[in-house]
Amino acid sequence: MDYILSVVTLAAINMIAVLGLSIFTGFTGLFSFGHAAFVGVGAYASAILTYYYYVPFFVALVAGAFAAAAVSLIIGVPTLRAKLRSDYFAIAILGFGEAFRVILENLEITNGARGLPGIDSFTTLPIVLVALAFSVWITRNFLKSRYGVACIAIREDPVAAEMSGVGLFRTRLLSLVLSAFLCGLSGGLMAHFLSFIQPVMFTLVQSTQLLAAVIAGGMGSITGPLFASFLFIVLPEALRVANMWRLVAYGLMLVLIMIYRPQGIMGYQELPDLFRRKISRSGTK
Amino acid sequence: MAADVVRIGHTVSLTGGASMWGQSEARAIDMLVKKINDAGGVLGKKIEVVRYDNRNDAVEAVNVAKRLVSDGVVAVIGPAQSGNSIASAPVLEKASVPMVVTTATNPYVTMDQRSGKVRPFAFRPCFIDPFQGTVAARFAITDLNAKTGAILYDVGSDYGQWLAKYFEEAFVAKGGKIVAKEAFRSEELDYRAQLGKMKGLNPDVIFIPTSQKEAAMAAKQARDLGINAVLLGTDNWGSPDLIDLGGSAIDGGYFVNLADLADPDIKDFVAEYKAAFNEDPVLPNPVMAQDALLMIVDSIKRANSVEGEKIAKAMETIKDLKVTSGPLTISAADHNPFNKPAVIQKVDVKNKTFQFVKKYVSVE
Amino acid sequence: MFLQTLVTGLSIGGIYALMAVGYSLVFSVLGFSNFAHGAVIMLGAYLGLALAVKLHLGIGLVLVGSIVGSGILAVMNERLAYSVLRRRKAPSLYLMISAMGCSVFLENLVYATIGSRFYAFPEFFSRQVVQFAGSSLSLLDLAAFIVAFLAILALHVFVTRTKTGIAIRAGVCDMTMCSLMGVNVDRLIMVVFLLAGAFAGVAGVFLGVKYLVYPTMGWVTNKAYIAAVIGGLGSLPGALVGGLILGVVETFVSTYVSSVMRDVFSFTLLIALLVWMPNGLFGSDTEEKV
Repeated sequence: MDYILSVVTLAAINMIAVLGLSIFTGFTGLFSFGHAAFVGVGAYASAILTYYYYVPFFVALVAGAFAAAAVSLIIGVPTLRAKLRSDYFAIAILGFGEAFRVILENLEITNGARGLPGIDSFTTLPIVLVALAFSVWITRNFLKSRYGVACIAIREDPVAAEMSGVGLFRTRLLSLVLSAFLCGLSGGLMAHFLSFIQPVMFTLVQSTQLLAAVIAGGMGSITGPLFASFLFIVLPEALRVANMWRLVAYGLMLVLIMIYRPQGIMGYQELPDLFRRKISRSGTK
Repeated sequence: MAADVVRIGHTVSLTGGASMWGQSEARAIDMLVKKINDAGGVLGKKIEVVRYDNRNDAVEAVNVAKRLVSDGVVAVIGPAQSGNSIASAPVLEKASVPMVVTTATNPYVTMDQRSGKVRPFAFRPCFIDPFQGTVAARFAITDLNAKTGAILYDVGSDYGQWLAKYFEEAFVAKGGKIVAKEAFRSEELDYRAQLGKMKGLNPDVIFIPTSQKEAAMAAKQARDLGINAVLLGTDNWGSPDLIDLGGSAIDGGYFVNLADLADPDIKDFVAEYKAAFNEDPVLPNPVMAQDALLMIVDSIKRANSVEGEKIAKAMETIKDLKVTSGPLTISAADHNPFNKPAVIQKVDVKNKTFQFVKKYVSVE
Repeated sequence: MFLQTLVTGLSIGGIYALMAVGYSLVFSVLGFSNFAHGAVIMLGAYLGLALAVKLHLGIGLVLVGSIVGSGILAVMNERLAYSVLRRRKAPSLYLMISAMGCSVFLENLVYATIGSRFYAFPEFFSRQVVQFAGSSLSLLDLAAFIVAFLAILALHVFVTRTKTGIAIRAGVCDMTMCSLMGVNVDRLIMVVFLLAGAFAGVAGVFLGVKYLVYPTMGWVTNKAYIAAVIGGLGSLPGALVGGLILGVVETFVSTYVSSVMRDVFSFTLLIALLVWMPNGLFGSDTEEKV
């Protein structure tokens, strides 16, 4: 029972990070191979606060999320202002993620590459669920607001959007900062759940897994990536699959999705939409 | 959860870079458990080993620790690595499950770094790094006549960083001079920049407290750079594939180890293992693993209980217990053994073996 | 120490150049970052290892075997993972993600089947060292450097003097026009990947011989991206120069500044270049040359 609870909690924590990335990738259309770094910032910032300075958990959690948002400005401002080609941007943020990891490995306060053990385990499933609900609420409201609509416009056609007066740089940056905030929140929750964090937990491998969930779940959808990320964590545990085969499956899946169904499972739709259509269809008989 | 078995957990690296040691640990434990069960088990019940692969990854080690707690084990054997042990300790401590590591030598395995106090549920049957580092330094000064030394270590390793520190302290205390102390990132295999720096400073020995693959690479690159210093290492060198990976470059290197195949104290164990599995045990892990198992079994017997706290209390008072590697006495103050010996081995590439050079019992 | 650092840097740079060339080749023709290049390098190394250990072949035959094998692997990679997307004129981002997927798939497939153990090649050059002016260079490093240089030279000749080579350069400029002119685009792309794979094979074997063979060795291609960007994405001479510059600069940073922070420097350089000088040294705006 304990084990199942632990798997579900981890899945929920992951869903928050995936939600964050989907704002940036799924809705604003910029692919990122570096979002695990933001999860890492949130994890380390909040852990350092509770471990060394005995800061209350919720304060540390929020501080971690804001720290991640702040760090995203460091990479966001120069690269987004330069209006990089999408794959150049992906490489740049990949580089950022790698550099971030090296920095983590060399700071005294993070205990370097050996990792930080003994973090108090404050995270519980109810707390995570509240955080997840909060994240979904923020995301939906953001997407409905004019900023969110602007993001989607940029994704569809940046040139047209710019012509219509949308500030490309500002909107993309806002989207990045919000996505980093959610990733940071996820990181803080994870650090206080695993009680142990290490720089190697926040690398390209994890960034790719987040991206896989967003793509598989479907760009332009909230429920799609949430569903996909839940599946990604729970299914392998349920099947007792070894970690490396999990990654083999992720890799294969990314390729197959790009070839056969690039819009992912949900692709610009939400789960409720599917049901609505079924109901209306049966209604016309 | 059946009440007629005693579940003992084993967290071990069955895959990953340390798998050779891990697999050997598993075999040695299974071999001994069968003997114990055939003789009646412990407290009238059979021992059941619950084993998970921690893949030599600290995050997975934490996972494994949680799983073992969930499976209701009364004690845990392992991990073998300091980093994994330090990561697992808080989880097992919270659940009041005693953890007896096998070969983890970092002092902070049994002591909490933040508070400075001993961890009530962590124990070990092997020596600790201050001893290992000191032995290496002493050997370098007295036996290798080294006046100057250099250190190359992995900045991301608990094991390596502390060993470097203890070696330096002991080396300097005995009158030696450390001319260079260079670090590399974990997983990095090219140390030519660091070694290039050392070359000009002409150290007599280079201390490399790393895993066998890194030591092999360092040896190759050092020789390619024209460095003639004697290479000195620690127990992680002692894997059979050190020679495969290092080739002629690692020939003549020395390292500290916890046990040697030629040691008369473990003669019986080696013979038994060879008979059962048709190959030599990959020392020292299987010996230490058996030591750990015997520590647990003895403590359960003396506590007459499978409750974690009682087992831990009994473990603190282990005195002259006959384990696979010899008599064992545990210090109640720091949960480390008194007077565990260390051996010095020399790499012999031609005969593809590690030669026994010297044994240290305690260093004053 | 300065000379030794330079020598070490050039030897590391030679390998970077080899990796960058294969990567740049694909980028210039297809316009996307082939993240699977690292996986092909890794497979080339394993292939070479199998040839050396199981069949006891010498370094020459091992290289040939790996070149052929990796070339084939690269072509298969293209056929299976990219060709459909390419024909559909999918955005280059899709190709890149497919490439990342391939990389993760192949690397973990090796990890799950062959295992994570580190393997070493048999000693081909018996530790011979060339000494000059107080610096040492192992015979192996010298050989790797020479082979890298010759290979890139050969590629340059191929691309400027042969019919297929010229077709490739034409394809870089305008693929549609090329096919209208009667060039078989599919076959052209196949040749490009064959070449990229060949370079990956050489790089893989040299990496394996210098260091070790293991499933995640492909990650060293991150450095290849940086080298390619320094030289200008899509430029062949750029890949060579970029690789050498990166190798030398990295080694100097490692020696004189900090060996553990070296990668922060390299990646910051990458980002800075992408932002302020995306065309690197030799690249040009839209018509990226081969």
